[in-house]
Amino acid sequence: MQATSAEPLARDTEHRSRADARHDLIFRLLLRCCALFVLATLLGAALSTLWGGRDVLLKDGFHFLTSSDWNPVEDQYGALAPIAGTLITSLIALVIAVPISFGIALFLTEIAPNWLRGPVSAAIELLAGIPSIIYGMWGLFVFVPFMANIEPTLNDTLGNIPVIGALFQGPPLGLGLLTAGIVLAVMILPFISSVMREVFQTVPARLKESSYALGSTTWEVVWDIVLPYTRSAVIGGIFLGLGRALGETMAVTFVLGNSYNLTSSLLMPGTSISSSIANEFNEAVGLHRSALIALGFLLFVVTFIVLLIARLMLRQLARREGR
Amino acid sequence: MSAIYARRSITNIIALVLSGFATLLGLIFLVWILWITAENGFGALKLTLFTKITAYGADGGLSNAIVGSLMMDLMALLICAPIGVLAGTYLAEYASSTRLGASIRFLNDILLSAPSIVLGLFVYVIVVVPATALTGGSITFSGFAGSVALALIGLPVIVRTTDEMLQLVPGTLREAALSLGIPQWKLTMQVLMRAAFSGILTGVLLALARLAGETAPLLFTAFGNTYMTFHPLDKMASMPQTIYQYTNDPDPALHAIAWAGALLITLFVLALSLLTRIMFSRKKVSYE
Amino acid sequence: MNDLAAATAAPMTGAAAPAKIKVRDVHFYYNGYHALKGINMDIPEKQVTAIIGPSGCGKSTLLRIFNRIYAIYPKLEAQGNIELDGENILDPNYSMNRLRTKVGMVFQKPVPFPMTIFENVAYGIRHHEKLSRADMEIRVEQALRSAALWDEVKDKLKQSALGLSGGQQQRLCIARGIALRPEVLLLDEPTSALDPIATGRIEQLVEELKHEYTIVIVTHNMQQAARCSDRTAFMYLGELIEFDNTEKIFTKPGKKQTEDYITGRFG
Repeated sequence: MQATSAEPLARDTEHRSRADARHDLIFRLLLRCCALFVLATLLGAALSTLWGGRDVLLKDGFHFLTSSDWNPVEDQYGALAPIAGTLITSLIALVIAVPISFGIALFLTEIAPNWLRGPVSAAIELLAGIPSIIYGMWGLFVFVPFMANIEPTLNDTLGNIPVIGALFQGPPLGLGLLTAGIVLAVMILPFISSVMREVFQTVPARLKESSYALGSTTWEVVWDIVLPYTRSAVIGGIFLGLGRALGETMAVTFVLGNSYNLTSSLLMPGTSISSSIANEFNEAVGLHRSALIALGFLLFVVTFIVLLIARLMLRQLARREGR
Repeated sequence: MSAIYARRSITNIIALVLSGFATLLGLIFLVWILWITAENGFGALKLTLFTKITAYGADGGLSNAIVGSLMMDLMALLICAPIGVLAGTYLAEYASSTRLGASIRFLNDILLSAPSIVLGLFVYVIVVVPATALTGGSITFSGFAGSVALALIGLPVIVRTTDEMLQLVPGTLREAALSLGIPQWKLTMQVLMRAAFSGILTGVLLALARLAGETAPLLFTAFGNTYMTFHPLDKMASMPQTIYQYTNDPDPALHAIAWAGALLITLFVLALSLLTRIMFSRKKVSYE
Repeated sequence: MNDLAAATAAPMTGAAAPAKIKVRDVHFYYNGYHALKGINMDIPEKQVTAIIGPSGCGKSTLLRIFNRIYAIYPKLEAQGNIELDGENILDPNYSMNRLRTKVGMVFQKPVPFPMTIFENVAYGIRHHEKLSRADMEIRVEQALRSAALWDEVKDKLKQSALGLSGGQQQRLCIARGIALRPEVLLLDEPTSALDPIATGRIEQLVEELKHEYTIVIVTHNMQQAARCSDRTAFMYLGELIEFDNTEKIFTKPGKKQTEDYITGRFG
């Protein structure tokens, strides 16, 4: 055909095409390996901590979770106290951080004048950028004495309420579960509020406008329109904060008091999974170290599930938005 | 009728006032923490922090911790930046609509908020324990192990930003390059990466800001030391870990040094996030 | 197969010029949606062929088959034969590099690479040919001159291409395409993102380039087709309705649908 004479380069281009295809394949495989590295990290973190904790898990089995007897001297390890401490402090953090985050998101999306929104939301997000060790130091040196001052007042007020009163009775140490929970609340506040703020902004203006047109107040629009519309993502944001709170180490280690005694009072010292690991790991040997790694496995599994729920909830709204 | 109106508007006013109060509370905590850090930190800043090592305790400085932190942060970036950028590129360019891509993206988001202390344990089990066994104990905890742990903290940040930034690059740029016969790998490395460069760099800086403040993963990987070392296989001190140690000490003179270190890290991390914020807002504008 | 297709559906042409591209019974599927339904046409060499039609008629789809750019997306499938100089480019054995050096493409929006002006043109060449620095400079200058851009950029070749105006960027993209010395140039609504003055310059350029290249231009602007093409094809709902001399299409269209479209009586 007429093309052949005009193309002395034909064989050359054939050759290059094959080389290109080969390079593309290698490149693609390299990229895929890197992407799979992310999966390997998660899987590796779970398996390696399970492996590292096998001694104590095989020895004690389920008893490891239910016993509150943590005694390195007698080589007895029951994880109930750190588990309880992690759950209680995280719960306190949520109880405090969720309403405040909601208030901040409400303020930033519906109330604040436009010029104020940028700077204030940047400032709130700055809280998320402060390293957790700084929270820990501030907690220990500043917030603990502060709490020690107000705890007698808590004793006299909240402490007298029937049923929940017992939670707020105890010596004014400053240290303890409540203090740790509050520090955690400040830490997770920016995460929850920024998710809430973002999802509140996705509510279509016409939806809000039609409610305002019926004479609704701002609060009614937010409570009756915005919140139901964004419910799943708001819950996702809360779980995201919970995931952070469960796994946080440095902010709580200094202020928890490192005690394995289970008490009914939030003003008493306690411990958490992460702070037990941080405090004891480098002095631990044998079964003790295995018990700490097993605690790490437990923490990883629980946060994984919480974060999984968080992401699934967040994705629901993204889907509806067609993103 | 008017009673209902009155009640509704009172509810509204209370809610709005409370939300303003919540915002104020958040800002109070921010200012409080930063103020305390600045007050104690600036008061304790002195030149010897940069010239003396931690071995002298209260009379010493932080120089080995500063060097250790810089080395480990840099090594961590050298590990996680290439892997993260390539993984993010895979998600954006090859797996934007595949099931594998969706799962990796999803799990990467989980890794983003996974507890850092567990990642430290992970690296302890897969790096420190084997190194100890293989070398008969001559290499145990190391700066290298510390930077692997930090790399795992930074990795998901880079994966995510790279993925997002490449997805912002218009598809026509890909078509234009492919229509010239440029193969996919060249197109990706030379055209798309260049187009998304400042966005990807933002991700790397963001990762640095995150991993530079991490303490928990270093405790049982780098361990810490009291002498100056540049060897990545030695035990290595770091700023956050030294601060942790000094804060746990009863000696107030060590607390002062810890505050100075805390101020330095906070300034470093906040400056980085400010820088990325500026870069990122510029990036957004140039796309519109 | 070719003969059969040619016999069953006579290709529409209107040209005395020899055919550069022979389209034979081409079907196209998008996720299963039948987007092109048996297209037959002969695209004449060194002339400008315009493809017009309402949005969604398949005109861009057809153009994007000519260099197989569609193949970068999953779930798209083309059937039939497209012969470029007698060889079927839809044959998987037809090498992509060869096809893309022979067929250049310019897109709706100007998409300069994030590089200098010089590199934008040199980048494509460098992948296909090893040239000395001096030869490369000559090649780039030639391409920029052919795209009527040289005088405007010769003093700023080392500057970023992103600093050029939209019209200049589009001519840079044309220069980038012709730097590979293709035989066919595909233009996909090349002026839809440009102002009238820039559009005029591009049309003028098309007029000059047709002496060396076979040009296929897809446009939604009928005046543009009338102004700068020799042949015009009208497509509707994935079918080629009419393909004839431009003058005839715009003065005495043979089909009712064509007439309705060019007189603006179309939905």
